[in-house]
Amino acid sequence: MIDPVVSESINILRKRSLAEGGFANTDNGDYRTDATAWAILALSACGLDPEIISRARSRLASGQLPDGGVCISPYHPEVYWPTPLAILAWSQSAPQQDSLARAVDFLLDHSGMSLQEQEKSPDASDVTLKGWPWVAGTYSWIDPTALGIIALKVTGHSNHPRIAEATRLLLNRQLPHGGWNYGNTILFDKELRPMPENTGLALDALQSLTARSNLELSLDYLKVVVRNLRTPIALSWGILGLGAWGERPVAATSWLSECWGWQARFGVYDTASLSLFILACRLSGGIESLYRLAP
Amino acid sequence: MGFTRREFLGACVGGAILAASGHFLWRKFLRSRWQAQTFIAKVPGYQADIATVICEGLAHLGISPQEIKGKRILLKPNLVESNPASIQINTHPLVVRGAVEAFLKFGASRVMVAEGPGHCRDTLRVLEESGLAEVLWEDRIPFIDLNYQDAYSIPNVGKFSSLTSLTFPAILRQVDLIVSLAKLKTHHWAGITLSMKNLFGFMPGLYYGWPKNVLHYAGIEEAILDITATLRPHLAIVDGIVGMEGDGPIMGDPKPAGVLVMGRNLPAVDATCARVMKINPYKVGYLKRAEFVLGTINEADIVQVGEPIAAVATEFKLLNYIPSQKSLRMGFWGKFI
Repeated sequence: MIDPVVSESINILRKRSLAEGGFANTDNGDYRTDATAWAILALSACGLDPEIISRARSRLASGQLPDGGVCISPYHPEVYWPTPLAILAWSQSAPQQDSLARAVDFLLDHSGMSLQEQEKSPDASDVTLKGWPWVAGTYSWIDPTALGIIALKVTGHSNHPRIAEATRLLLNRQLPHGGWNYGNTILFDKELRPMPENTGLALDALQSLTARSNLELSLDYLKVVVRNLRTPIALSWGILGLGAWGERPVAATSWLSECWGWQARFGVYDTASLSLFILACRLSGGIESLYRLAP
Repeated sequence: MGFTRREFLGACVGGAILAASGHFLWRKFLRSRWQAQTFIAKVPGYQADIATVICEGLAHLGISPQEIKGKRILLKPNLVESNPASIQINTHPLVVRGAVEAFLKFGASRVMVAEGPGHCRDTLRVLEESGLAEVLWEDRIPFIDLNYQDAYSIPNVGKFSSLTSLTFPAILRQVDLIVSLAKLKTHHWAGITLSMKNLFGFMPGLYYGWPKNVLHYAGIEEAILDITATLRPHLAIVDGIVGMEGDGPIMGDPKPAGVLVMGRNLPAVDATCARVMKINPYKVGYLKRAEFVLGTINEADIVQVGEPIAAVATEFKLLNYIPSQKSLRMGFWGKFI
C-alpha cells in the first residue's frame, strides 16, 4: 500500500523519466546521473516501474567512464562523487554487474587527498585520514565519504580497510558536542556548528561500524533538531540517520507530510530531493534497509 | 673612448629618473583608465526604508531607470549557514527585499534571488532558517538554487589560477544584470569577505563540492579574481548595517557599521568597504592583485558619493592568531592611499 503523498511523488518522478532512459532533475530538464541514481532507489523502494528502472540503470551504465567512475557530467570526469550512488542503483541489477564491479574497484582505488599534519594548524581534524572527495584531487568530506561507506557495505565490503579508515575519518570529524557538518570540526579553536543533513547521512553510514556509545551526542542532537525540519534533504537524512539506529521518530510520517506541503512555498522539489523524501517515507531504517526489503 | 666616473654616475641617475617617471606616468595612465564610483549610505537599522536607500544609490551611481527597464535582474545574497540568533552571518532578508523593490521600481521586468550556499547541502533549510524564505514567499520573489542547477562551462578569463574553465549555473544565461548582494565581514582565510568573495556562491556545489574545495585548492585569492573576471557582475550592494568582525565568515561577532555600500566596480566597492572597516585594501591580497586588472582600489581614483568614509569608518576587530588578518590594519600611511 503506497501512501498518497508517496504516490504523487512517484508521478512527478515518472514525468521526469526520459525516453532514452534516466531522469532529469527538474521538469523538462536534461539527464543527470545523481538524479537518475536517486530515482532508481526511490522507485525500487516502492517496488514500482521495473521498466523505467531498467532503462535508467542502462543509461547510468552507458555514461560510466573507462576507469569505472561515474561522474556528474561527461565534460567533468573529475567530478566523480556520484559513483557510490551508481553502485547503490546497480546493486540489485543482474545486467549491470560488470558496471557495478568496475565502480566498486574505482571507489577502492580512489580517495580524497591526504595532507600532512602541521604543528600549528588551525584545523583540529586529522587531515591524514582518507575518505572520498567531491572532486578528484581535493580533500575528503563527510557526504561523499559516507555515501562511499554505504555503497561498499551494500556490496559486501564491510571489512575492507578503506571502510575502516573512512569510519575513522567520520568519527574524527564528529563534533565534540555532537553532530557533523560538511567536514570541519574546530577551526581557530572554535567548534563549528552541526548540520542535520550531514549528521543524518553520517549516522546512516556508521550503522554497524561503531558502537552506539560513540554516537550518543550526535543521536541526541539529531533527535532534537529533526522535530523542526521540514525541508526534504535535511528532514529525510534526519529520519534515515535516526532510523539506521532504531530511532526513527514516531512523528516522522506527519513531518514528511508537512514537508510535502511546503512545495507550495518552495516549488516542486527536484528529483534528487523527492527521491530522498520517498526513501525516508518508505524505509524504516537507513539506506541499507532498502536492500533488505521483500522483492 | 670610455666614460668618466662622473658621466657614468650621471647616466645612472638620469636612467633612474627616467624609469621613475615612466613608472609614474604608466600608473597615471592605468589610474585614469580605472576610475570608479562608489556610494555609501548610512542606514541605522534593518527597519529603515532600504528600498529608497538603494534607489538613491542607483541614481547616485548614474544607473537610470532606462538602464534597468525591462531587464532581468539576479540578486545573489550571501547565505552561508543559518543561525537564527546571528544576523551577522547572512545578507539580511530585509536588504534582499529592499533590493528587489528598488529594481522593480526602476522598471526591471523580473527580479530573482539566487544562492548556492557553500557549506549546507540543503539550501531550502538555510533559506528557511535565515528568515529569507518568509520574505521571498510574502513578496512572491522567485528563488533559484544555484548549487543544483544544470550548468555550462566557459574558459577562465582571469587565468590567475590553474583552472582552465569555470562552470556556472544555467540561469546566468537568462539574466541581464548580476548583482552581488554581499555582507560586510572579516574572513579567516581571505582576510575579508565582501562583494567579490560572495561570488563563490555562484559556483554550483554539484561541480565544486560542499565546501567548494576545488576553489580552495586553486587558491582562494586566485579563485576570487578568476570568478570576478569571468562572470563580470554588474553591480555590488554590501550589507554593512550589521556586519561581522573577528573570526568570520561564520563564527565572528556582530559589528554594527550602519552602512550600505554600492558600486558598479567590485574591487572599488570592496576597497571602500575595507576602508569602512579600517582595513588597508592594499594589504588584502586579492584586492591588491585586482588593481589595474579588474578595477581600482586607490582611494584617489574612487569617486565617493553619499557619506564620506571618514563619517562611517569603524574598526572591525581583527585577530592576531588568524594569519590572513594579522597585517590588514590601516596604518598611518594607509590613510593616504
